[in-house]
Amino acid sequence: MTVYFFLQQQVNNREMIKSLREMVEKVLSFKRKRRIAVAWAHDPNTVGAISKAVNEGFAEAIMIGRSAEIVKTCRSQGVDEKAFHIVVADNEADASARAVSLTREGEADVVMKGLVGTDKFLKAIMDRENGIMKPDAVLTYVGALEIPAYHKLLFISDPAVIPFPNLDQKIAMAGYAIEMAARFGVAKPKVALIGASEKMSRHFENSVDYAIMCKMAERGQIKNCIMDGPLDLFLACDKKSIEIKGVPTPVDGDADILLFPSLESCNPFYKGLMLFAQAELAGLIRGTDKPVVLMSRSESELSKYYCIALSCLMA
Amino acid sequence: MVLKNMGDLKTIVAGKPRKKLVLAAAQDQHSLGAVLRAWKDNIIEPILIGDKEGIQNISYENGYDIEGLRIINEPDIDMSVEMAVKMLNSKQADILMKGKVGTSTLLRCVLNKEWGLRTGNLLSHIALFEVETYHKLIAVTDVAMNISPNLKDKIAIVNNSVSFLNRLGYSMPKVAVLGAVEMVNENMEATLDAALLSKMNQRDQIRHCIIDGPLAFDNAISLESAKHKGIKSEVAGDTDLLLMPDIEVGNVLYKSLVFFAKAKVASIILGALVPIVLTSRSDSEQAKYDSVLLSAAASK
Repeated sequence: MTVYFFLQQQVNNREMIKSLREMVEKVLSFKRKRRIAVAWAHDPNTVGAISKAVNEGFAEAIMIGRSAEIVKTCRSQGVDEKAFHIVVADNEADASARAVSLTREGEADVVMKGLVGTDKFLKAIMDRENGIMKPDAVLTYVGALEIPAYHKLLFISDPAVIPFPNLDQKIAMAGYAIEMAARFGVAKPKVALIGASEKMSRHFENSVDYAIMCKMAERGQIKNCIMDGPLDLFLACDKKSIEIKGVPTPVDGDADILLFPSLESCNPFYKGLMLFAQAELAGLIRGTDKPVVLMSRSESELSKYYCIALSCLMA
Repeated sequence: MVLKNMGDLKTIVAGKPRKKLVLAAAQDQHSLGAVLRAWKDNIIEPILIGDKEGIQNISYENGYDIEGLRIINEPDIDMSVEMAVKMLNSKQADILMKGKVGTSTLLRCVLNKEWGLRTGNLLSHIALFEVETYHKLIAVTDVAMNISPNLKDKIAIVNNSVSFLNRLGYSMPKVAVLGAVEMVNENMEATLDAALLSKMNQRDQIRHCIIDGPLAFDNAISLESAKHKGIKSEVAGDTDLLLMPDIEVGNVLYKSLVFFAKAKVASIILGALVPIVLTSRSDSEQAKYDSVLLSAAASK
């Protein structure tokens, strides 16, 4: 039994993607190109990231916007615009709608936000008749965070979309993160529901949701994961803290997924790690039929490139 | 340790010094009969407070031998209860039992701020059943006292019951939090409270027991049924204590066990300074006797 378990773990470990670079390699190994529709594509960072993905051979790009400006942006980045398909659109809303309709029609596999404002872009995604939301799905964001000081990737949610997730939204967030982790070869991820302490307290409403979710996981109502919470970050990600605090938890300081109680706790978490600890994030909008890449305009070219690779992994 | 039947309570009592039980308003035939039997069996040492003439008449009519028994004459019911409670408050006795007096009168005295038996804990009722179809005694709470306990009340009820079971020798009683289903359902408050109680137990915020819930009644008491549903639980099928979602469910379960399953039952009130035997008039003399036995076993 133990030997079998050990061998199984070896196999799992071998298949597990542990860095964003390994993620790119995995995508390259598919030997197929994903078509990415970029809404309002005249953004130097986006052009740079897309062209890298196209050159490496895992993506094709459909750049949507004012064609003269796309060409100008490409040239300013030293990129040959002939590597892309260009689709003309007059304004941000039109470009977003075109990008979404191309994926709906099967002409593209991924939608990506260019220089368009997030609200206009999401409006096109969520449009009841022409959008690409799954029926009754919760729209949220899941990211894969690479932190040099941690031994594997850490999936986090939600740093971008839902300010204060309720119980149903938290359950959906966990589901999407588990699904993403599975694509990275983590079959039964350890999900830590993050709080300020591991104790239940009526002062922390999230602890109530967390207890309910843990029981749902125990009863198989949330599947394919090992879940515990509330846990503080130390208990979630640091084995030494488990010893010191003496809190038995199946997450065991070895979390794969961190679920945060609010956008305002998750967002500074990843940004802090990016700023001060050389972390990198690849993230996607979830709840849609096709992957949606949405990064803030200030995001680096490398981050955007990783997001594109992630979208190809999930497509 | 696990108790298999009411007789096992006698073993516990035999190993302890004999406890003094005060029967308030003792002029009640069934209560008196049960107390005298327990006295003869060396389970308790009774002190009767009440209408001495009434007590003597009942004894004469039923052939009870009250020779050598301590009887304090207080014909006024309210006064007899007050005297009994004060006696326990000043630690002259160990157990309080209700005789021919209304429950509300008795509880009013128990909860008196100056000379009552308050501890700051919630009072709760616990019933212990011996059912032929279960492999050991099973405790059920709360079927008589708390009507619709909220989460905070449930925590208090579990704590009362667990420290009671700890005293009976259960070092880690298995507590099943009952629901209509074993799944968490947002529309069923009881299942949500059950999840919270389980988590508080995992985090050592409710101690000296193992809690699991929600469990449906069948999964709680039948391992086969739990296996059939694929429930992994240390509690399922081997429950020591069933926590009821509310008094209606609890009361119906209590009565169906007694009437349909011919279960033997013993019950007491927990959360006061001393165990209180507060059986209802409809309880059999045997149930009263077993309750006296239980109170003696549970007494500190």
